[in-house]
Amino acid sequence: MLDLSSTQAKIGFGITALLIGFFIFFPVYWLIISAFKTNEELYRVVPTFWPQTWSLEHFRYALTDGGLLLQLGNTLFVSLGSALINTTMAVYAGYSFAKYRYIGRRPVMLFMLSAQMFPFGLLLITIYPMFTGWGLLDTRGGLMISYIVFALPVATYMLYSYFSQVPNELIEAARADGASDLRILHTIVLPVSIAPIVTVLLYSFMWSWNDLLYSLTLIVSEDKRTVGPGILLTYLNDSHSDWGGAMAASILASIPVIVAFMGLQRFFIEGVTAGAVK
Amino acid sequence: MTTSVDPHADTAPAPRVSPDARRGGLKAAERRFGLLLLVPALTAFGVVVLFPFLEALWLSFYEYTIAMSEPEWTGISNFVDVLTDEAVIGSFVSTLIFVGAATVFSILLGLGWALILNHPFRGRSALRGLSLMPWVMPAIVAAFIWGWIFNSRYGLLNAVAMEFGFIDYPQAYLSTPGGAMAAVVIAKVWLSVPLFMAFFIAGLQSMDREQVEAARVDGAGNWHVLMHHVLPHLRPVIMVTVVLGMIGNLQHFDTIWALTGGGPVRATTVLSIEVYRRAFEQWDIGMAAAVGVVWVATILPPAYFYLRQLMARTE
Repeated sequence: MLDLSSTQAKIGFGITALLIGFFIFFPVYWLIISAFKTNEELYRVVPTFWPQTWSLEHFRYALTDGGLLLQLGNTLFVSLGSALINTTMAVYAGYSFAKYRYIGRRPVMLFMLSAQMFPFGLLLITIYPMFTGWGLLDTRGGLMISYIVFALPVATYMLYSYFSQVPNELIEAARADGASDLRILHTIVLPVSIAPIVTVLLYSFMWSWNDLLYSLTLIVSEDKRTVGPGILLTYLNDSHSDWGGAMAASILASIPVIVAFMGLQRFFIEGVTAGAVK
Repeated sequence: MTTSVDPHADTAPAPRVSPDARRGGLKAAERRFGLLLLVPALTAFGVVVLFPFLEALWLSFYEYTIAMSEPEWTGISNFVDVLTDEAVIGSFVSTLIFVGAATVFSILLGLGWALILNHPFRGRSALRGLSLMPWVMPAIVAAFIWGWIFNSRYGLLNAVAMEFGFIDYPQAYLSTPGGAMAAVVIAKVWLSVPLFMAFFIAGLQSMDREQVEAARVDGAGNWHVLMHHVLPHLRPVIMVTVVLGMIGNLQHFDTIWALTGGGPVRATTVLSIEVYRRAFEQWDIGMAAAVGVVWVATILPPAYFYLRQLMARTE
């Protein structure tokens, strides 16, 4: 699209690319090398741009005294659980919107999509006493349920878009053979929808994994804490700040989502932007 | 429902159910099944979205603080407070600055990066994938990275600024209102650029290359192509990113809370922080709900626009 045959254009393109690229990637680089520096090297007024000695002390601390393993385990449990609940509900709701016609279908769909627009902080004001009353406060199950609001609207829309493209003939043929609707969904539609379902699963997982607000509020006990509030309260609190530990814990907390994401990147981008770009 | 067969009819046994009735019956059963499929998702929405929202709306008309056992009806007095309280007005101003700056810069950088990554070169797809990293990582990690770069004693920014002679001694950026606001905006922009880049790349892929080629033949330069072909083509995508950016930034809590906690004093106390503090630090539930309801009102216009667009594409 851009014509880079002139020197001027080449220079302009190169400079813009370097500046934006630097802005995006340098902080990641800085995060990584800071995590591997010794405290002595980290707290210098003139920083080094490459560690003089590579040290694992911050990672070791994070995984032992920092309690990160426990927090990672909690986060994994809650995120997997909420991703499964979310995806299951989104599959049924998306399929219903795509393949069935009934009165109120569009208003209900609109309502479900709008749910994402309510400020989460406002909902929390009443979810907190509600969960207290139901005994769900400070439980991982409660947190799992509260996470539904984050991803379900987009997940439902993504699956709705996909299911709309599944040919009706496929469904009609199975119906003519006497298969029940639920059987058709489970044995005919789902097997051809693995890619979008995995995308939605990952999308939900990511939202839950990355949350701070809900787990900060709905989890009180230290042993149930997830990584977001976990690393915030462990490394940077009123009494002390351990930046090396914070950096190491940040890397360890990011690895699971990055790994999951890399494998499915293409589907993922198509799915997330599908609703808006066409 | 299905027609019953008249037992006294002495004609040849008619089909038990006429084809039409049968179809009608099936349709009704199908509809019921379709609605049944919605039950789990709708129940969940009722529990974690609709009911909490309605209850918060109700509470916004009550005075309800930690010192009270029961909420007490006060009419619209909370809203009067919200609109006259200087602290709350301050939050609106902070929100406006944060949302405006974060949205504009995310879109500009996202568009710029998309144009660069749209140009073919070796390693492009790997770079595209890696560019998404800031968006995939937990928001709190962004807060840590930028908090460390802006650190008042050992931060990189201080070291670089002193090296180049811009400042003589380290600055506590996060302790000044302007510096803190700049920091939270930068951290949020860093988080959002990848997503907007993805939107713009998707938009650029549907461009008509021949049209651009034709303009080139007519002697159009890069600037002309950008202004008269690329931007008009991307108009709908730009609209969507503006709206999504506004909604996302109006909602944003995580990085700001982790980076500044809303401070210094109240400089970065946007509405999300304001509501959180009132509800979970001061336990002034009625006022928190009232601020929250006004907050919803600020999200409504972009949300309406976005939903209308989304629904227009559904049958």
